[in-house]
Amino acid sequence: MRDTTSGCARNDLIETLSGAQLTAWQTGRLREVTNHAYFDVPFYRKLWDRAGVEPGPLRSLEDFERFPTISKHDLVEAGDGWTNPHQGPVAFSTRGTSGAPLLVWLSAEEEEAYIQPTMRGFRWAGFRSGMTALLMSPVWHRLAACEAHAIARLGGRCAFFWGSMGSEFTDSFLHTLSSQRPEFITTTAPFLLSLIRGSHGATNRPHQLFKGVRSVVVVGLPLTPRMREFLRDRLEVEDVFERGGTQEGAAIDECRWHTAPHVHEDVCYLEVLDDAGIPVAPGSRGRLIVTKLSTAGSVFVRYDTGDIAAFAPGQCPCGCGFRRLKIYGRPESSVLVGDRIITAYDVRMCIEEDPTLVGRNVLLIREANARAGVLTVAIEGEAHDPAKLQARLREQLGVASADLVWLGDLRVNWGFRQVLDGRELQLPRS
Amino acid sequence: MPTENPYLLFDVPGGQLAFGDGDLDVWAEHLAWCYRMMGIPDGSTIAVQDYGSSPISFLGSSLLMPGLRRGVAERFDGRFICLDASAERVTLTPALLAQLSVDALVIREDVLELLSAELRKKGFADLAQRTMKTIVVFGDEPPALNPVRLQPSRHFMHVESALLLAPQCVKCDCFHLREGFYEVDGRMIRNLRLAAPPYYLSRGELFGPSHCAAGIHDWCIGWSPRGRGI
Ligand SMILES: [Zn+2]
Ligand SMILES: [Zn+2]
Ligand SMILES: [Zn+2]
Repeated sequence: MRDTTSGCARNDLIETLSGAQLTAWQTGRLREVTNHAYFDVPFYRKLWDRAGVEPGPLRSLEDFERFPTISKHDLVEAGDGWTNPHQGPVAFSTRGTSGAPLLVWLSAEEEEAYIQPTMRGFRWAGFRSGMTALLMSPVWHRLAACEAHAIARLGGRCAFFWGSMGSEFTDSFLHTLSSQRPEFITTTAPFLLSLIRGSHGATNRPHQLFKGVRSVVVVGLPLTPRMREFLRDRLEVEDVFERGGTQEGAAIDECRWHTAPHVHEDVCYLEVLDDAGIPVAPGSRGRLIVTKLSTAGSVFVRYDTGDIAAFAPGQCPCGCGFRRLKIYGRPESSVLVGDRIITAYDVRMCIEEDPTLVGRNVLLIREANARAGVLTVAIEGEAHDPAKLQARLREQLGVASADLVWLGDLRVNWGFRQVLDGRELQLPRS
Repeated sequence: MPTENPYLLFDVPGGQLAFGDGDLDVWAEHLAWCYRMMGIPDGSTIAVQDYGSSPISFLGSSLLMPGLRRGVAERFDGRFICLDASAERVTLTPALLAQLSVDALVIREDVLELLSAELRKKGFADLAQRTMKTIVVFGDEPPALNPVRLQPSRHFMHVESALLLAPQCVKCDCFHLREGFYEVDGRMIRNLRLAAPPYYLSRGELFGPSHCAAGIHDWCIGWSPRGRGI
């Protein structure tokens, strides 16, 4: 499908590039970005001089892999040294669940580049001209700010509910849902789960309010296959799509095949590395490294997100040549148990083998005994078959033992968090 | 008259705001006027701790809304920091204020207490008080003075359902109802630029035009300063 808006020409073109052509195009962009960073952002110049790399001779992705990776801590420390003269007028905060939050800047030029992939992702998810979209707050996230622009350019209307993404605003969301009757929704998965659980016993069941909704696009946590089914069936919507991205510039969207989200290769170059910094093969997990392919906004070159991710092997049946990436866990959605990193996603996969437990919010609890190999998991609602679940967690995740905490009706503000410190919650113990 | 072909709809407490072509810039210009009345100069960095569905947030920059040609940041040639107003985000604000000096922090009254506590916890309360102007946004009536909270430099009246934005003037300390934007009829305040229900002012004193030279045709709302944060 061709769009009439001018920006889409580039958009369509990039999707048709072969693997080698795409690599060549990205290498050119990486050279441009690193050159800009070297000459205009003191932090990078200092870092790369010390590491003995320079952007001038960058001719291949292998050359690029010699550039050092950086962390959030490095950027917070760098302070003004990380300022880009073209960083733009608007800032968003990254979540601070792992250390200090970071202010990330957005410029008009950069946003323009990111609106294109947002439009692409929304088209993949079935958005068509004339539809109404119920969107997330534009001040919530850098990528959310692009959403309304994308909808307007695709010929749609945007509706916003009052409030934010905490579970205290589910009623407000439902109010707008029933008054605006959108065909398309973007939201977070924890928010939808809270909404479904909160509606137990209500006269208006959520699926009645979701009548007419064709697609729900969710961010905030990686969908397990069973959770996607659960959301689709409970809400009685046509399809549920996973969308992802980081404030640092990663942008990914699922196509209708749901094989794993495609990377928007025209705005970001993503790598998955092992702990020694070596790229891992598709199918294997490693750390997600992000480079933004724009010289505007805050500059991120080989930024180690701390996220655990894997590229999907092979081709997607949809024919799009963009690689596919599943982000399994963020630092704030994983715990270290013994010497293993356990993600909330993996725990959820175990839990959801019991159909009764599908769709419950799950929290990993950071406890002192984790070092001794004890995994502590808090699960919404009443207990169900705990002995079998404990056995599954031990076997499938390789932990010495698993403690379960059943939260009953305890209301937790889920937000994006999937891990809590044991001291943050007064937990009922079973 | 209802907005023709609205392409943006915002549900707000007690009502709904619908915007069509060109509407957003009218209101971004008004919001910029409000900041100037509260003494915010050009080039300022303005941080807003409010929900994304509040015009104080979404009119902050053209980057936030389609069809907004010049938001507040563009009109001030300044910068805009999106802070959202969920409890989770409010707890991040002290660390952000430590990274970047902000000229004005605009904050919803209902999260001011939480932010003040967080600032004290992190030891930033004095610094914040010294280095930035705090503009506290309220609905029906300015909040009473509360010594444990961050002290407001100005108050800003915002009745969401009526899109009533009235800044506390640096000159007369009252809240200006801008000429051409609002009409006063008894204690009813009508929005002249957007289809929105009128607002009934239940308390406070109304002063007719020529009350203040900063807006000679504006009506003003005054509240007795006793016990108030003004
Ligand atoms: Zn595909
Ligand atoms: Zn005045
Ligand atoms: Zn006055």
